[in-house]
Amino acid sequence: MTQTANVSITEDQRDCYQEISNVAMGQAADLLARLLGVKVILPIPVVNLIEVNELRMALSGIENSETVSGVCQGFIGNGISGEALLIFNDTSFNDISDLLKYGGVADKSLELELLMDVANILIGACLRGVGEQLDVGFSQGHPVVLGQHVNLNDLVAANNYRWTKTLAIEINYKIEGYNINCDLLLLFAEDAIEVLNRKVNYLLED
Amino acid sequence: MADNSSDNFKEFHSYMAMLQNLDVGLVVLDREYRIQLWNNFMESHSGLHPYEVRDKQLFETFPEINEEWFRHKAECVFQLNTRAFTTWEQRPFLFKFKNYRPITGSAEFMYQNITIIPLDSSVGIVERIGIIVYDVTDVAVNRIELKAVNDELKRLSRTDRLTGLYNRGYWQECAEREFKRGQRTGRVTSLLMFDIDHFKHVNDTYGHPAGDAAIKNTADQLVMNMRETDVAGRYGGEEYAMLLVDTTAENAKIFADRLREHIAASTVHYQDVSFQYTVSMGIAELNDDIKSVDEWIDAADHALYESKEGGRNTVTIYKKS
Amino acid sequence: MAIPVLICDDSSFARKQMARALPEGWEVEVSFACNGEEAIQAIKEGKGEIVFLDLTMPVLDGFGTLAQIKQQDLNAMVIVVSGDIQPEAHTEVMGLGAMEFIKKPASKEKVLEVLKRFGVI
Repeated sequence: MTQTANVSITEDQRDCYQEISNVAMGQAADLLARLLGVKVILPIPVVNLIEVNELRMALSGIENSETVSGVCQGFIGNGISGEALLIFNDTSFNDISDLLKYGGVADKSLELELLMDVANILIGACLRGVGEQLDVGFSQGHPVVLGQHVNLNDLVAANNYRWTKTLAIEINYKIEGYNINCDLLLLFAEDAIEVLNRKVNYLLED
Repeated sequence: MADNSSDNFKEFHSYMAMLQNLDVGLVVLDREYRIQLWNNFMESHSGLHPYEVRDKQLFETFPEINEEWFRHKAECVFQLNTRAFTTWEQRPFLFKFKNYRPITGSAEFMYQNITIIPLDSSVGIVERIGIIVYDVTDVAVNRIELKAVNDELKRLSRTDRLTGLYNRGYWQECAEREFKRGQRTGRVTSLLMFDIDHFKHVNDTYGHPAGDAAIKNTADQLVMNMRETDVAGRYGGEEYAMLLVDTTAENAKIFADRLREHIAASTVHYQDVSFQYTVSMGIAELNDDIKSVDEWIDAADHALYESKEGGRNTVTIYKKS
Repeated sequence: MAIPVLICDDSSFARKQMARALPEGWEVEVSFACNGEEAIQAIKEGKGEIVFLDLTMPVLDGFGTLAQIKQQDLNAMVIVVSGDIQPEAHTEVMGLGAMEFIKKPASKEKVLEVLKRFGVI
């Protein structure tokens, strides 16, 4: 089939992305559980093909009224490029600080440490998990701090995304017994979707 | 066969030369944090030759590294077999190197981003880690300068030009925050409003510039007497507002009386005139009857009015009538 | 006689993937279910002597399904196949009566090894 102007995904493909994410996030959750010594509650990942300006809606795990802190990290492999966003509800930090045994009150610089520690684990493991299943090795760029204690809309709007469509996978992690809520968003670039779809079709073949 | 291996060696040698000359730092550490590899970049910036650092313990060789912090990051890599990234925003540098551009650069030292990667995990056990050190001084300096400019703009937009106190808009924002906090936590907070007595008279007698000098003098006295946690603003022309956190009305009155006396005792000199003046004050402590910031301000204003009625140069605490 | 095998997962891709991981030449009658409720129904109908069960599912998840099987004393040998590889999840399902825990995606080798260990093959 020749390339169509509009990228799209079929229901079967969406199901497949969801299952791949499910396995990848399980691996990431296992690492996080081991790092923190807790049980991570696994959600059902949400897969959507969205317009980039609808990005805010993809972050369904985070309330509008809350202030958040976030980092993003670019990745690329086999021509598949994208960005991972990790966004923390600011009220999560005191509990994470206890868990990571940094001790002391979570001030802004300690919160940044916590954010980076969790980002390193979750983003790295999720990308590895997705990569293993699709047979792609992803290189990761250096993470960038998007903002601390900012309104979610400002955090997302601060970025001038060049793509129009993106394949968004949202994974909302919660930790049993703690007030910790973070959203991991894997965003694949528009021109990567076709490559991804091909890889997924290969998996879907009988 | 012999030729082949010598070719291989040459090839390997040229790869190594490339790695050596990369303009990023490459370091390999073993499980005990002993240095196993040290490229040109590291040698040039540290002044330490690879043979000087080989098998040396990282933290002994570079005591400036925060051991606890670095181990925390590195142990994740060793134990979880995952990469770790740190940015200059967390800590400006891992290795304290001088700025690459000693003449035109404005930073004293090199800002660094660090990537730590697991190595040798053929059997799933990480025996060594690789550290990649990126020089990000230019990015960091630009970002810091931009932030300084933005902070200054923010400060200016909150400040009253004449007095240097917060302007009415920003003070009101602070009051709003404090009111909500008080409602939520039940924390004791008092609000003080005051203004200059017979200010019109000051203006008419000595001229407006002299009036401005009195407004400035009042603010200076206020700043000299206030505590760090107090939030003071210029509320109107010759009107001031102040939030005293963790302070009862009685304690606020002690502060207010002292300030009132200081102001009354001070003399304003403007060009060749000198004059003295007084202020009248009102205090309202936050309580459950007060339902909004406006009501709170009204209460303090009401007490201020009583001070005026009672002969001025005095402090009144608001009582519900 | 063919052994009734039930594969329960909300993802059609995962069901297909699991079916592909079954040993070749094993004489089975494979049925599918999309959630725990459907699985319980199928087991009652005799379609699930051996059940490959996912954990995160809508309607009734894997934990709830195991509890139901135990409570209703249904005859099914359950092998949990899950992406949740945290030790706690493992312990929990074993406590609920699962025979074994296989991490997703299940490989042919692992499935064969488990089935052999339990003497099914």
